[in-house]
Amino acid sequence: MAVDLGKMSDLLIAGKVEDVSNMVQEAIDDGMDSSEILQGGLIAGMDVVGQRFKACEMYIPEVLRSAKAMSAGMIKLRPLLIESGAKTAGTFVIGTVKGDLHDIGKNLVAMMFEGAGFNVVNLGIDLDTQVFVDAVKEHKPELLGMSALLTTTMPRMGEVINALKEAGIRDQVKIMVGGAPVTDEYAKEIGADIYGANAASSVDKGREALGD
Amino acid sequence: MKSVMPDMQPMNQTVQETPQFRVLTEDQIEQIYFAALDVLERIGSRVHHDEALKLFRSSGDAVVSEDKRVRVPASLVERALKSYPRKITLKGRNGKRSVALQKDHVYFGTGSDLPFTYDRKTGERRRTTYKDVVDAGRIVDYLDQYDFFMSHGIVGDAPNPQTYDRHQFMAMLEGCTKPMVVTSVDGEGLEDLWKMACVLQGGEEEFRLNPMFVAYIEPISPLTNDVTAVEKLLFAAEKGIPAMYTPCPSSGATAPATIAGMLVQSLAETLLAIVLCHLKKPGMPLIMGGVTTVMDMRTTTYSYGAPELSLASAANTDISKWLKLIMFSTGGCSDSKCLDEQAAIESTISNLTAFLSGANLVHDVGYIDSGVNASLESLVMNNEIIGMVRQVGKGVKTDEEHLALKVIDEVGPGGEFVTHDHTYEHWREWFLPKLMDRSDWETWNNEGAKSMSERIDEETQRILDTHEPLPIDDAAKKELKAIIDAAEKRHS
Repeated sequence: MAVDLGKMSDLLIAGKVEDVSNMVQEAIDDGMDSSEILQGGLIAGMDVVGQRFKACEMYIPEVLRSAKAMSAGMIKLRPLLIESGAKTAGTFVIGTVKGDLHDIGKNLVAMMFEGAGFNVVNLGIDLDTQVFVDAVKEHKPELLGMSALLTTTMPRMGEVINALKEAGIRDQVKIMVGGAPVTDEYAKEIGADIYGANAASSVDKGREALGD
Repeated sequence: MKSVMPDMQPMNQTVQETPQFRVLTEDQIEQIYFAALDVLERIGSRVHHDEALKLFRSSGDAVVSEDKRVRVPASLVERALKSYPRKITLKGRNGKRSVALQKDHVYFGTGSDLPFTYDRKTGERRRTTYKDVVDAGRIVDYLDQYDFFMSHGIVGDAPNPQTYDRHQFMAMLEGCTKPMVVTSVDGEGLEDLWKMACVLQGGEEEFRLNPMFVAYIEPISPLTNDVTAVEKLLFAAEKGIPAMYTPCPSSGATAPATIAGMLVQSLAETLLAIVLCHLKKPGMPLIMGGVTTVMDMRTTTYSYGAPELSLASAANTDISKWLKLIMFSTGGCSDSKCLDEQAAIESTISNLTAFLSGANLVHDVGYIDSGVNASLESLVMNNEIIGMVRQVGKGVKTDEEHLALKVIDEVGPGGEFVTHDHTYEHWREWFLPKLMDRSDWETWNNEGAKSMSERIDEETQRILDTHEPLPIDDAAKKELKAIIDAAEKRHS
């Protein structure tokens, strides 16, 4: 019997991490097409999660559980998707700039991107400018996210952008910035592409910028 | 869960999880109580009702003067006080026994009989109608923080002022399925409302076990009991209908300008009813109450927003607990003419104070314009306030699960709690705002940069457009209408 993708969606919505992971494996073993599993099972579920979140029917802890389930499914699915040449959401590199030890906001954004099916590389906190440059070279992400919670560390984001320019790789990647003191204007001022006001809208804007 | 820190759970430790809020010490309560007993022995209270005077005279204890002043010895008051129930449970027409009046259980509801309704769209006030009462009922029926309904407005378009209360109760029943507090014109009016409620509760006997409403009755301060108030009291006593005798003294005008003095007088007024109902038929479910506030000395307004109202009401609640009586108190009301910052501030202060004091029925939520004007939007705003107030009242749990030592250990320095199971399991214990905005600047702007005021208007309209309460079945409706028609006939 073919794997029930509707049920996979429901399990994902309910945040059943192991069940989703097992079911994705089952579907792969069954020979189901990886794109079909992704679209019909995982993304269909996350779309509902997104809608419920906007309607205040689901909240962050539940959304993150679903995101975790999505991510667990993607670990199984990603190699097959790449192999088949199917379009995936892409790679997202994220980190908090030098001098800033604030972790949680950046992690929330990372988890939400995982939930959207991105391959997320979370670099950590208090990062030297060079770490961002190296990561862009190494992972070739479609999207780079930087976070700063302090007005004193905010300018470091602009420095990273300049360093990417100097390295000649600025145009390879869309750059998103966020954090409590950051504004849309500030993002433009330092030459970023996207301002992420909060974790959920960051994902929407990120997808939009990548033409999804 | 297996205990990981046994040394933190000693035997026989009482864990206090509720905020403790008291205005009076026990000594102060006794001072007020003894002073009130003294008022009844020395000064007495005037009673304009023949049967009541007869009951006092024939008690062998009370003394009735020519001028209808009744003086009562302390011994009779203390005997009477022992005969009242400490618990009354109300059941709405929705079949739920949802209001359990007992110590420290707090329920919120509207006030009643406001002559005007504030129209936010035009900024004008107009006479309240039958439809306004139904609409207020629908709002209260829908919103989760309201436990009981008083009419909010008065049905100004009823055919006859002598029978308006039956129509008003009908409007209340149409709009709302929750338990109620009802006002009536006189004893006969109360009898009709009781009969109507009995139709819905399945008869007189069922009503006694599952009363749908409490009858609101008030004396006239200072120390005066008019004929209709006493009539209602005696009828309620006879039939075992829950009733409250709730003085509305205004400090500095109809009561002393000191809070203690106002409380002494107010308690004496209550104790007289305690004795009278006991003489009529011991054991009726009588509730203590009071809108104890000040007369504003610039405007002569009876203030619904004064901090003294909150303080005096909380003190009165302390007294009620000491007397082991159920308490009817006041909150969520304002002197402001419109729903603005003043209304929000005053409503919040009185709701919070009433809740923390542990009053059982907190009424007048949604009153603006010093008890003259009705506002549906205020009801919607107060729903959010009460939600927040109740959250504060939940207190802090300090058992092993809530101390979360294990979780702190698992997460460790620099980790995060947001994806921990413990968060998933506990965050829903928090207050979930419906109208309070906590979004970021950009999101707020994108969603129309709406103020609280605009969100309240939208929510009010949404409820009015969508909420339909459980209908009353046709057979019952017919019976209710027959009771109203009979009253109209008697009074035509």
